[in-house]
Amino acid sequence: MTAHHHISALSKTGRALLVGTVFGVSLASAAAAVEITVWSGYPEMVPFYEHVAEGMKADHPDLTVRVEAIALREHEKRIALGLTSGEAAEVIELAKSTATRYLENELFDKAPDNIAAFVSDPANFGEFFRDSASYGGAVYGVPLFRGQSALYYNTKMFEAAGLTEPPRTMADFTTYAEKLTQRDGNGNPTVSGWSMRLSGGGAGIAEKFWINMFQYGESLVEQSADGKWRSSFANDAGLAALKQYIENVHGLKTVTVEMPADAEAFEREQTAMFIRESWVIGDIAAKAPGLQYATSTLPTGSIVAPVTLWVTGEGAEAEAAWAFAEAANTPDNLLWMLDNVGWLPNRLGLDYSGILANKPAFGAFVNYPESYKFFSLPNIGPVEEILTRTADRLTQAFGNPSLAGNDAGIMDVLVAMQDEINGLLDREGLLAAE
Amino acid sequence: MLRRKRWLFALMAILPTLAIFAWVRVYPIWETLRLSVHKWDILSKNKPFIGMANFQELFRDRLFIEALTNTAIIAFGVLLVTIPLSLVLAALIHYRSRSRLAAFYETSVFIPHVVSLVPAAMAWKWIFDAKLGPLNALLTFVGIEPQAWLFDPVLSIICVIVLCSWQALGYAVLIYLVGFKSLPVSLYEAAKLDGASGPQSFWFLSIPMLKPITLYVSVVTLVSGFNVYAQAYVLASDAQGAPGRQVRVLVLDMLENSFRNYRVGYAASEAVVLLLIVLLLTLVQFGLLRDKGGRA
Repeated sequence: MTAHHHISALSKTGRALLVGTVFGVSLASAAAAVEITVWSGYPEMVPFYEHVAEGMKADHPDLTVRVEAIALREHEKRIALGLTSGEAAEVIELAKSTATRYLENELFDKAPDNIAAFVSDPANFGEFFRDSASYGGAVYGVPLFRGQSALYYNTKMFEAAGLTEPPRTMADFTTYAEKLTQRDGNGNPTVSGWSMRLSGGGAGIAEKFWINMFQYGESLVEQSADGKWRSSFANDAGLAALKQYIENVHGLKTVTVEMPADAEAFEREQTAMFIRESWVIGDIAAKAPGLQYATSTLPTGSIVAPVTLWVTGEGAEAEAAWAFAEAANTPDNLLWMLDNVGWLPNRLGLDYSGILANKPAFGAFVNYPESYKFFSLPNIGPVEEILTRTADRLTQAFGNPSLAGNDAGIMDVLVAMQDEINGLLDREGLLAAE
Repeated sequence: MLRRKRWLFALMAILPTLAIFAWVRVYPIWETLRLSVHKWDILSKNKPFIGMANFQELFRDRLFIEALTNTAIIAFGVLLVTIPLSLVLAALIHYRSRSRLAAFYETSVFIPHVVSLVPAAMAWKWIFDAKLGPLNALLTFVGIEPQAWLFDPVLSIICVIVLCSWQALGYAVLIYLVGFKSLPVSLYEAAKLDGASGPQSFWFLSIPMLKPITLYVSVVTLVSGFNVYAQAYVLASDAQGAPGRQVRVLVLDMLENSFRNYRVGYAASEAVVLLLIVLLLTLVQFGLLRDKGGRA
């Protein structure tokens, strides 16, 4: 064998070894590699989940996390389709009120012992949030964040209107709205005094109405002692809440249905104040960092909508999914979420002082009076239908100028809404006796 | 024997197509019909038979009635706008077919049909915007009061009709152009010799001879009109800022009942009603526009 042949033979052996090694390694890594998908209904949460995944790299180098976030209503539809067809993501972010149906049908996995112990520990979560991740006494998810409302107001506009502090009562809201509204030469509003949710296709209109009505001490549906539900807001409190909308839209014209609204309008200084959850702080930081604004608690209390991470799947994927849900709940990650995204963590014992020093607007969400009350959407099947149908009736009422100064007409709307909700509860066998 | 073999061969040749058709068309329709008489929440294994209860509830449901009314107004509105307009446009393009710009005319009319629906609807949303839209700017310029296009109950439906017609027009024009090209030139020459003007030829020759094309275009337009969804959804898209008024249409109501209210059986009964309406209207159109010779 010549040197050339020897080298050539060695080279062939080397190539074979190399190919074999590469093939073997890729087979081994294929066996170890795990990919999980996270479904979110809040596109602004994508950086947070990516941040969590990045932090898991050291302990889970072969884990790939795909984050798929779409608008909430579409997210809810894909969950309905995905879970029933077995094509859902491994980690699903969903509010308990919507998740209850899936829990009833055993479509989410029960948490493994270590996760159950973590969630059940009163040092980690209060009873409300422990319940929001449990069903039938067992833990099924990991609480993550909550939607909670507060008032956002433009301090520059307040100063220009001679207002030195935020409104303290619901009557103040109307007085303030009048003072804050900017108008053109014909008296038409160009900047709304108080942006209310008046249009759109979602259940949000009803949810926002519920928040306002709650300030008057009334709710869209209430649970009775027998565990069933009833709607009974066609009374003075309900009248005051709906009348305030009608008065502002058709009477005082501090806002119109077609005016720019919500966070976008606030960021563009097209409205002076509005009620929203804490994510707006992150949104303002990203889109309107120069905006001069502050936040304040609401007169009576706020909605709390707890959002939980649920898991589906089996084997290594399910294991990785639970590890991801747990990693999302480390204090560092939760503080990162609050600071960078703006959603409020549900976990207890977090030190918010550093974030509050830089972003005092979070104060209205974490420092509230002891008497402050909270409500949440009921965990019952027809909750979405109740909100959607109520929203439809509210939209019609907001667009009806004949209701201005017409208490009887407004009461008729309230009675119709109430009867329809009770009809839905009755259909589902959930209606409480009067 | 040979005849039987031929028959068997024909059957074998057509069988794969029939199987695919049965799987993707017949089975879903059958399944929808079956679901419409059951109560099912998409999640539960239980699917109790409830007879006609879903249908009885449908006609007491104010949202369904609203959706049905809106959908019918939109479908017939699109039909009324699209058919005459596309016929006139096709005639104009056809009679200018020797022009250097003929291809440009055809392309510009057809483009809306191939443009992706969502970006197109977003553009129209901007056009109709009450505060920033060019339509209200134009109205103000000519001294007309600006309108809340996407928020007024009547105007918001008109906006959906305009958007759907804009999209349907290109396809209808294309089909009419094919029809115009197949019309016998000798008839027009004879009419001209008899002293008929251009509009008279169009009215007394083109329109009657294009009846089969009109039947096809009107059936397609009406069926797609009854299936309207994305246009209404995008025009009222619930983004932060200024969501418009939600024009409730049948498909939207079905989707909401299926995947938000978890009432799949109920949504299936809506689908059955939609199917019956479309079938009935198609039969009526065939009856009205059928040639006297019996061939459409």
